[in-house]
Amino acid sequence: MSAELVVRGLVRRFGGTPVLDGVDLAVPAGECVALLGPSGSGKSTVLRLVAGLDTPDAGRVHAGGRDLTGLPPERRGTAMVGQRPRLFPHLSVLDNVAFPLAVAGRRRREARAQAAGHLALVGLADLAARRPATLSGGQEQRVALARALAASPAVLLLDEPFSALDPGVREEMHRLLADLRAAVAPTVLLVTHDRQEATVVADTVAVLLDGRIAQAGPAEELHTRPATLAVSRFLGGANEVPGRVEGGAHVSALGRLALPVPVAAGPGVLVVRQEAVAVTGPGDDADATGTVTRVTPRGARRRVEVATPAGPLSAEVGPGLAPAPGSAVGLVLPVAQRWVVPCPDAQRAEG
Amino acid sequence: MPARSPSRRALLLLLPAAVPTVAVLGAALTVAVLQSTGLMPVVGEPDPTTAGYRALAGDRALLDGLRVSLGIAAASTLLALAVGLGTALLARTTRLGGRLLRAAAAATVPVPHLVGAAAIGLLLADSGLAARALAVEPGDFPPLVGGPWWVAVVAEYAWKESAFVALVVLAALAAGERELDEAAATLGAGPWQRLRRVALPLAAPSAVAAGGVTFAYVLGSYDVAWLLGRSYPEPLPVLAFRLWTDVDLARREQALAVAVVTTALALASLLATAALLARTARATGRTAT
Amino acid sequence: MTRAAPLRRRAGVAPRVALALVWLALPLVPLVLWAAADRWSFPALLPTAWGLTGWRQAADQGAAAALGRSVLLGLVVAALATPAGAMAGRALALHRVPARRLVEGLLLAPVAVPPFAVVMGLTTLTLRAGIPGTVALVCVLTVSALPYTVFVMRSAYTGYDVGVEEEARTLGAGPRAVLLRVHLPLAAPALATAAFLAFLVGWSDYVVTLVVGGGQLVTLPMLVGALSSATGNDAVVAAVSLTAVLPPLLLLVATALLARRGAR
Repeated sequence: MSAELVVRGLVRRFGGTPVLDGVDLAVPAGECVALLGPSGSGKSTVLRLVAGLDTPDAGRVHAGGRDLTGLPPERRGTAMVGQRPRLFPHLSVLDNVAFPLAVAGRRRREARAQAAGHLALVGLADLAARRPATLSGGQEQRVALARALAASPAVLLLDEPFSALDPGVREEMHRLLADLRAAVAPTVLLVTHDRQEATVVADTVAVLLDGRIAQAGPAEELHTRPATLAVSRFLGGANEVPGRVEGGAHVSALGRLALPVPVAAGPGVLVVRQEAVAVTGPGDDADATGTVTRVTPRGARRRVEVATPAGPLSAEVGPGLAPAPGSAVGLVLPVAQRWVVPCPDAQRAEG
Repeated sequence: MPARSPSRRALLLLLPAAVPTVAVLGAALTVAVLQSTGLMPVVGEPDPTTAGYRALAGDRALLDGLRVSLGIAAASTLLALAVGLGTALLARTTRLGGRLLRAAAAATVPVPHLVGAAAIGLLLADSGLAARALAVEPGDFPPLVGGPWWVAVVAEYAWKESAFVALVVLAALAAGERELDEAAATLGAGPWQRLRRVALPLAAPSAVAAGGVTFAYVLGSYDVAWLLGRSYPEPLPVLAFRLWTDVDLARREQALAVAVVTTALALASLLATAALLARTARATGRTAT
Repeated sequence: MTRAAPLRRRAGVAPRVALALVWLALPLVPLVLWAAADRWSFPALLPTAWGLTGWRQAADQGAAAALGRSVLLGLVVAALATPAGAMAGRALALHRVPARRLVEGLLLAPVAVPPFAVVMGLTTLTLRAGIPGTVALVCVLTVSALPYTVFVMRSAYTGYDVGVEEEARTLGAGPRAVLLRVHLPLAAPALATAAFLAFLVGWSDYVVTLVVGGGQLVTLPMLVGALSSATGNDAVVAAVSLTAVLPPLLLLVATALLARRGAR
C-alpha cells in the first residue's frame, strides 16, 4: 500500500506572514524521511497540509502519482499519529484499532480480527479489551501507531509522536518503529525537533528553515557537508573559519589548509564538526594552535574550547582526555572532514 | 493529580453548602410527608391517616394531572433534546455560525421561564404574531395557547431547554472533540461516519444528563403551565397550588400530598437518568464524573 | 491556526444555522415589537402605531419597585450561594471527600426536588415558628441555586493547578495573601459565572415567591404573571417582560467579557 509522497512548492501563510514559503519534499515509497526544524518552523503545518487538515495557499501534494491537493482528509490515505495519541475514549483499545476498518465498511468481526493482528504487531495483543484511559503514555502511542497502520495508509505521518515520552520509552518506540518498517514497509514522513531522533529513525533527514527545505540527505551528510551555515549551526556545528578558497585549499588566519574535494575559488567558510577535531600538543602537526578557554562536560565526553588566531574552535574529546583550561594545545582538523560553505550564504546568515 | 489533603478540611469546606441543603430539603420534605399523612395537621391533634392520598386517588384530578404532567415533560424533553443536540452538532461544524449559535443559546438562559411563557403567548395566541404572519383569522387559528394539546406550554419548555441542552453538549464536546474528529478523518472516516462514530457517542452522556434534568424540571415547574395551559386537567404543580390556596385548610394536606408525589416522580426520573448514564459509562468505558 | 480546517466545511450549513438562530430568537420578537407599540390592530404584521405607552403603564404599575426587589433578591441569593458553592466545589475537585458519591448526590438533590414542593413544606414550618416568609424565600432559593454554583466551581477547580498556590507560599505569601492575590483572581471568571447563575435563580423565581408571599411580595416575575394573566394589555406585558430580560442579559455580556479577559 505504501506509495511515494511528493510535495511541491507548498506555501502556507498565517495572517499574511508565510510560515511555509515553497516547501519541496519527496519521500520514496517505503522509506522514512525525518522533517527536522526548530520549533515554530512550520514542520507540523507541512504534515497537516499533507493530511488535508489544512489548506495550502499554493503548492501540490501527490502520493503514488495521485494528486491529493483538495481532497478531504478521509480520502487521502494519509494516517497521522500526533504528539498526543488522540484515542477515542468511548471505544476499547481493539475497537480503536478497528476504527479505520469499520469506517471502510468492513464487517465488525473481520475488522476486529484484523485489528487484533495490528495490535499484536505493536506488542499489545493482551490489552485489546482495555479502555484508552487505563493505558500508559507509551502504550497509548503504540495503540495510535497500530490504529494508523490498520488504515493501510499510502503514507504514514508522524508528528513528534514520541516527544512526550520518557527517554527510555522513546528509545523503545524507535526500535518498534524500525521493526514496523521492516514488517510492513510504510512510507513514513516524521516530524521532529530532536536531531538525534531524526538520525536514528530516518533514512533521509530534511531540514526545514525559514519556511523552506534548506537541505535534505542522509544524516551524516547533513552534519559533515552542510549546504549552508544555517544548517550547520542548526545541527550544532561549532567550528566556522572564514577565509577563501584558492587552488584547492582554504586560506585563512590558520594558514593554508588542503581540501579533500575540489571547490571553486572564492570566499568560503571552512566548517569541521567538533566531534572530528582532535586535540594534540602544540606541535608541528597541529593545524591550529591556541589556548584552552573552557572545558564543558557533555555526558561522558567533554567539549574543549580553544582560542585560535582564526577565532574560537571547539573539539570534543573522550573521558579523561581533556586538557586543563589555560593550557596551550594544538588542534587537528582531519583533511577528510573539512568542508567549505560558500560565502554569499555566510554573509546572508551573518547579516 | 490533585493534592490530597486531610478530609477534615474537605468536610469544613463542604459544610456551608451541605448544611442548608440538608436542612431545607430535609425539613420541607419531612413536613410535607407529616402533614400530608395527618401527623402534623393545620388544626387539631395529630392523627395518622392516608386520607389525603386516598381522597386524591379517588379524585380524577390527580390522575389526570399525572397524565398531563408526564406528557408535557416527555414531549418537551424529547423536543429539547432533538433540537438542542442538533444545534450543538451544527455549531461545531462552523466557526462563525458556531459562535452565533452559542451566543443565541446563552442569551436564552437569563430569560425567566415566566417571561418566556408571556412571549410565547404573544407569538402563538390566536391573535398573536404567528396568526398575523400566516394571515389566519383568530377564529380559524388552532388553539395553541390553552388548547387541548398544550402546544404553547411544550413550545416554551422546548425552546428554553433546547438552548440548555445545546450549551451542555457543546461544553462536553469542547474537551477535545475537534482533535478526535481530525484523527477520525485521517483514518478514513467521512463526515457522516465521524458524526455517527465519534461526535454522537461523545455527546451522548451529556445529552442524557441534560435530558434528565429537563424532564425533572418541567415536571415540577408551575409558571408556564399555569400561564399558557387550560383550567382542566391541571399539571401537578398547578393542582398543588390550587389546593394550597383553597379556603378549606384541609385541602393543604392534599396539596402537600401532590407535592410529595411530584417530588417522588422527579427523583425517580433523575435516578433513572443516573442509571442510564452509568450504563452508557460502562458501555463507553468512561468513568462517571 | 486561523481558519477552519477544511474537513469542517460542509455545504448547506448556512441555512441550517439560520434556522436554528430563528428558533432561538423568534419567541423574543413579539416582545420587542409589542414593547414599541401604542396600537397594533389585528391583521397588521407590524404595530399600527409606534410608541412607549407600554413602558409608561409599566411604570404606573410599579415596575421600578418590582425591579428593585428582584435585583435585591437575586443579589442576596448570589451572595449566599456563590461562596458556599465555591468552597464545596473546591473540596470536591481538590480534596479527598469521604462518601463522595453520596455528597455529590446530596448537593445535586435540589435539582430533583420541585421548588413548589420545598416551599410548601418549609412555609408550613416557618409559619408555625413565626419566622418571616422572606427568610423561607431566601432559604429555598439559595438552596435551589447551590447545585449550579457547586458544579460550576467544581469544574473550574478541576482545571486549577494548586501548584500555583504552593509556588506562592514558597515565594513568601501567607494564606491570606495567597487567597487574595492568587486564588481569587484565578477563580474570578468561574466565580462570576456561578454568581450569575445564582442571581438568575432569585431573579427568575415565580412560584416560590407566590407561595411565600401569597402575591404580597411583588417582584418582576410576579408583575409579569399578574399582567399577562389579566388579558388585554399586551404592550405593558411586553414592557415589563423586557425589563425582566434586559438586566441579566447585560450582566451575561459583562460576565462573558470578564471571563474572556480572565482567559488571556
